[in-house]
Amino acid sequence: MVKTVGVIGAGTMGSGIAHVSALSGFDVFLYDIEESLLNNALQRISTDLRKSFEKGKITETQSAETGARIHPRLTMGDFSKCAIIIEAAVELLKTKRSIFEQLDTLCSPDVLLATNTSSLSVTSIASATRYPERVLGMHFFNPPHIIKLLEIVKCRRTSDQTIERAIQFAQQLGKQPVVVKDTPGFIVNRCARPFYGEALRLLGEGVTSIEEIDRIVKLEGGFKMGPFELMDLIGIDVNLSVTKSMYEQTFYEPRYKPHHIQQALVDAGHLGRKTKQGFYRYES
Amino acid sequence: MPTSSQNIFLIGDYKLIEEFGSVCNARGLNVLCKLNPPSTKKVLPKFLKRCASIPRNVAIAFELTNGNTAIKQRNLKALDKALNSKKMILSSSVTITAMEQSTWIKHPSRLVGMSAFPTLLSKKLIEISATTHTGSETISHVQDFFLKLGNQISVVQDRIGMVMPRILCMLINEACFAITENIASPRDIDTAMKSGTNYPLGPIEWGNTIGFKNVLDVLEALWKDLGEERYRTAPLLKQMAIGIK
Repeated sequence: MVKTVGVIGAGTMGSGIAHVSALSGFDVFLYDIEESLLNNALQRISTDLRKSFEKGKITETQSAETGARIHPRLTMGDFSKCAIIIEAAVELLKTKRSIFEQLDTLCSPDVLLATNTSSLSVTSIASATRYPERVLGMHFFNPPHIIKLLEIVKCRRTSDQTIERAIQFAQQLGKQPVVVKDTPGFIVNRCARPFYGEALRLLGEGVTSIEEIDRIVKLEGGFKMGPFELMDLIGIDVNLSVTKSMYEQTFYEPRYKPHHIQQALVDAGHLGRKTKQGFYRYES
Repeated sequence: MPTSSQNIFLIGDYKLIEEFGSVCNARGLNVLCKLNPPSTKKVLPKFLKRCASIPRNVAIAFELTNGNTAIKQRNLKALDKALNSKKMILSSSVTITAMEQSTWIKHPSRLVGMSAFPTLLSKKLIEISATTHTGSETISHVQDFFLKLGNQISVVQDRIGMVMPRILCMLINEACFAITENIASPRDIDTAMKSGTNYPLGPIEWGNTIGFKNVLDVLEALWKDLGEERYRTAPLLKQMAIGIK
């Protein structure tokens, strides 16, 4: 039975995972390498909790208790007390492998070690450990305390028991778990590729304009957002890097081939909403 | 709204006639129709009146066939012959361009392509495509017709798959590849796409509703047209298309 959760990395994803875990009643150790990063994370969590309280989703007591269950740490020593550790550090294979190597030594072999990677090989991260059967991917979606979906990623060497325990934990978090094999893009990033890829092709082939493709996809397809406004929201650089990573990891499967329109926007520094310009212009 | 006395005629695939006919009827039009073989006798809602031959007193005719080129060509030729040359014909141009279709008929200025694809015809917007032969008055008539029907339109270039059917079929194909490769269950794939990315339907349930044969037809037409490996179809999609028509 999981009582204490460890979260490595206090960025957007890490703090969101700490938030949802603490809200579900777990004690959480939140680790990062700099105090300022931890302080920012605690600040963000407290802002998000206040928003949830204002929307009537949680009580004031729940909000206070959740905050009190999160313990920031600059060292990993306490992580040996955790039943499950979720890593949400920077998306670099070398960094993640090194973290897993440390955790593997620190924790007993029955502790679940999960990575929140969205684009790296979980199998490669797992192979940095001596007990890869307890290593898996737990891919949360942004923002983790709101989106219900959780992709549980099974590697070649992950045990069935690990997957069962991860599903149980996901349910305790109130998540909707889906199980997927460790393959490039898992389910969502992979199955969503054509949404962007074909839209870019249609634009490149001059079939119609950016605005019209978005309007068609929303009004004829019934999607909440069109592909171009969605790429602007996600970040054109982020979206391109997911596509590139899938294209490379599948040894250049043509369905995942990036489009030069994306690269040109990234080169121009037009990354979407965050730079006030992408496929569309945004007034500040 | 169009006047209630206005007759429109639909000829083509069962699914498209049932969906588009119901929309037109709900908005006050009198819908006459003729189904393609082998579904000629298939049960339709009562308000869709079947005709044995092409009625002459119609305001506008729709050719709604996607998969079968021979039948589509026969239908269009028959419409072109039976209807006064000023009457508009809207024809699905999802699997064959309107331009190619216009070479089949004697009065191509009346022909306009449309994005007739299952599950999309009852939505708020329809894509239309003109050819180099399409008369400007024909396009403005088509715009009037859809505006009165309460639909928005988007005029797009005359290309295989148009916009929404092409994106949608590629999404379904990708999910079929994922299942072919056994990375996750069909149910989990649908759940993930609805819950993780807010899609209105999961790709597999959407494919089931559309009919996988319809999805296959669009992708095979794209593959033939663009000649790229990108558009090759998942083995599972082909099997589903054979199994569930």
